[in-house]
Amino acid sequence: MDIMQVDPEWGWAPYRPSPETPWNRQAAAHLYRRAGFGATAVELDEAVAGSPGELARQLVFGRPEPDTFRQLMRGMVDSMIATGDASRLAAAWLYRMLQTPDQLQEKITLFWHGHFATSAEKVQDPIMMQQQNDLLRNNATGSFQEMVQSISSDPAMLIYLDSASNRKIHPNENFSRELMELFCLGEGHYSEEDIRELARCFTGWEVKNRRFRFNRYQHDFGSKTVLGKTARFTGEQAVEQVLEQPSAARFIAARLVNYLLFDEPVVPALLVEPLAAQLRADDFQLGPTLQRILSSNLFHSPFSRQRKIRSPVELMVGMLRTLEMTVNVNELATGIQEIGQGLFFPPNVNGWEGGRSWINSSTLLGRANLVYRVLADEKTRFAGGSLEEYLAGHQVSTLAQAVDWFVDHLLAIDLAPGRREEISGTIDSSQPDSYRQLLHTLATLPEFQIC
Amino acid sequence: MKTTRRTFLARSAAATSVFSFSSSVPCFLQQAGLLADETGQQRVLVVIQLSGGNDGLNTVIPYKQTEYRSLRPTLAIGADQVLRIDDELGLHPSLAGFHKLLENGQLAIVQGTGYPNPNRSHFESMDIWHTCKRKTEQRREGWLGRYAGSQRTGAGDMGSAPGSQMPAIHLGQEEQPLALASEQVRVPSIHSLDQFRLQGSTPESVRASVESLVRKKQAGADGLLDFVASSTRSALAASKQVEQSTRNLSSGTPYPSTRLAEKLHIVASLLDSPLETRIYYVTIDGFDTHGQQAGAHASLLRQLDGAVSAFFEDIQARGQSNRVLMMCFSEFGRRLKENASKGTDHGAAAPMFLLGDSVKPGIHGALPSLTDLDQGDLKHHTDFRQVYATVLEKWMQTAGQPLLGAGFPALPLLRA
Repeated sequence: MDIMQVDPEWGWAPYRPSPETPWNRQAAAHLYRRAGFGATAVELDEAVAGSPGELARQLVFGRPEPDTFRQLMRGMVDSMIATGDASRLAAAWLYRMLQTPDQLQEKITLFWHGHFATSAEKVQDPIMMQQQNDLLRNNATGSFQEMVQSISSDPAMLIYLDSASNRKIHPNENFSRELMELFCLGEGHYSEEDIRELARCFTGWEVKNRRFRFNRYQHDFGSKTVLGKTARFTGEQAVEQVLEQPSAARFIAARLVNYLLFDEPVVPALLVEPLAAQLRADDFQLGPTLQRILSSNLFHSPFSRQRKIRSPVELMVGMLRTLEMTVNVNELATGIQEIGQGLFFPPNVNGWEGGRSWINSSTLLGRANLVYRVLADEKTRFAGGSLEEYLAGHQVSTLAQAVDWFVDHLLAIDLAPGRREEISGTIDSSQPDSYRQLLHTLATLPEFQIC
Repeated sequence: MKTTRRTFLARSAAATSVFSFSSSVPCFLQQAGLLADETGQQRVLVVIQLSGGNDGLNTVIPYKQTEYRSLRPTLAIGADQVLRIDDELGLHPSLAGFHKLLENGQLAIVQGTGYPNPNRSHFESMDIWHTCKRKTEQRREGWLGRYAGSQRTGAGDMGSAPGSQMPAIHLGQEEQPLALASEQVRVPSIHSLDQFRLQGSTPESVRASVESLVRKKQAGADGLLDFVASSTRSALAASKQVEQSTRNLSSGTPYPSTRLAEKLHIVASLLDSPLETRIYYVTIDGFDTHGQQAGAHASLLRQLDGAVSAFFEDIQARGQSNRVLMMCFSEFGRRLKENASKGTDHGAAAPMFLLGDSVKPGIHGALPSLTDLDQGDLKHHTDFRQVYATVLEKWMQTAGQPLLGAGFPALPLLRA
């Protein structure tokens, strides 16, 4: 079957379990991996006892971080900021991804970090970088409109796109170009003249002492023509005008579907339309659309299963959450950066390309080596104990059982027939670290890179 | 016995046909369909990027010219110190190895290279050298990345052979130079040999079992899985190859203990292996000598000289030197007049270097005038893309125009 042939009505209708598409541990694990990073064995048990629609609702709306956890995170972030080194923020963020009850919030915040890509390489200042990260988190599943308004006056963003001192006589076009091309509309939905006119609307938008400041002496109060409408646009009004374009809702809906469902191909226009209509009807509130996507027929169909390459963050946070592991997050952050996903340091304004671009010789070897280093680190714990104790708690006491258990919980693709036996046969069970060797081997397999 | 490229080729030739390998060929190469080509495909380009803007005037020194001496009151290097090339020019005293290579007929110096309307920002000028395009054009690929992409074999299966996946390798910790960016292939950056080696308490058994598990194409495998599986196969093969090629790194001719020398030592080892990689790219940073230039510049050139000399001795001893062309460039030269901090500011035209058995040795082109300047800087007379075109057409034997974006006439820098 071809994705182009999928009936949009069926595609976005709520999924009802059937004998062909049962609601089982694999289906629940799929939902957890895509909406968040991964589920523990206990979470899967609970999931299959309930309904898929209810779990999707919970993942989007029902698991807010308790205040105590937020305070803990604030303290950790502040201690990272105190080092003055923006790269340390990545460790705190990874800690949050690993420990938060609200996995989806972090998964979607990561999406926005790639979408509104801003790098500390240029911004330098960890305080402004974290301010932006908080902004993305606070709006992650809220209103896209508010998000774009906030990001347009976000100090880190203004610095990153050379807009921090945007002067009347020489408007900087960098931000206005990206606002339309990368953030809201996509290529082909605006003209070069729109870019120039839009840039005028943002003149006088400055950064002073890490805060946004409107400098009326540098603002061009004249009339501008943006996307077919002429007015004395302010920056805020210009953002509204951009978001009123029909392509805005389509653009965001398509990006979300590719992020959550499949790397390839670009979502067909017909499938985008119902979601775009909903976004508009909801005043760009993202939560209901996210819930609809995650509880849909299409989400649970073969078009979405095993259709994504795990990003470095998904690879590691997924494994760590699934096995309830605690690790040194500073080293984890460095390791994830080395295999291509430096949090707070996206490669360029386009963010991470994702999909196949995660994979090359260096990164594949790097992935295997990072898993090995984490497993070999004596400080690494599994639900507070050793891997052997952890597996024993799940009634696993032989290599063959361990292969089954790991494959069932960690892999989105089952191994070809006979491969499970083949793998357990390659490991010497008398070795004290045989389970770790097994996990290292599994993590090096191509199947492990896909979710 | 160590398998050198030469013996590998001999073995391949001994097989009845290139596609039916004898059992003496290592299995992973057989799998990968790695073939050596007799048509000169195995020529290699080694690029050394001097980052920061190398002071060309204190590298190839016009020691007799009054303007040079008068405008550089503290930095000028005198006739008695230079390593004399001829009655006009001499090399910086740190470049004794380069001087010897010149005498051996292995060094060509291309004077006055640059491009029209020179940009004096490091970032922008380096991007121009990397992509051959200006800021107003789309720059997603570098000139060598485009070359690497053009070498890709078999659409959609870029991971099938180490050679096809690694037409180029970047060695170093720094971000991969834009010159190597390609939309077709992923050029690996080997950050360190350690990271490019499969680690583990039993890496060989992990490797063996993963190799055996991804050995066959899974029937009906999904596109993504297939892609990752073939990438995994070639990653393991490449890693093994790199590991074997660099196992006896300490043996052979000696290298100085500098980062650059270490990288060139690895390049020499990889050259001397069945890897099909055609381009190796390394950088040395620090040439942005705005203040107290004399000592810093001497030290940088000494590092360059030591590493390059050791490299050529090594590849000569390995019998590889006729396969290698080396090219050194920097994003711009420096201003003729020294500044108030005993340094020099960003300039424009500067010399490039080509090294190897195949160069036409000596000075090519005149030193740009020291009196007819552009904003205090030397004017270029040779577009750097002509040097690139020469390298691509006369050495790599591929058309320059599609890779450089326009036709540039090649220069007579190499022996026919």
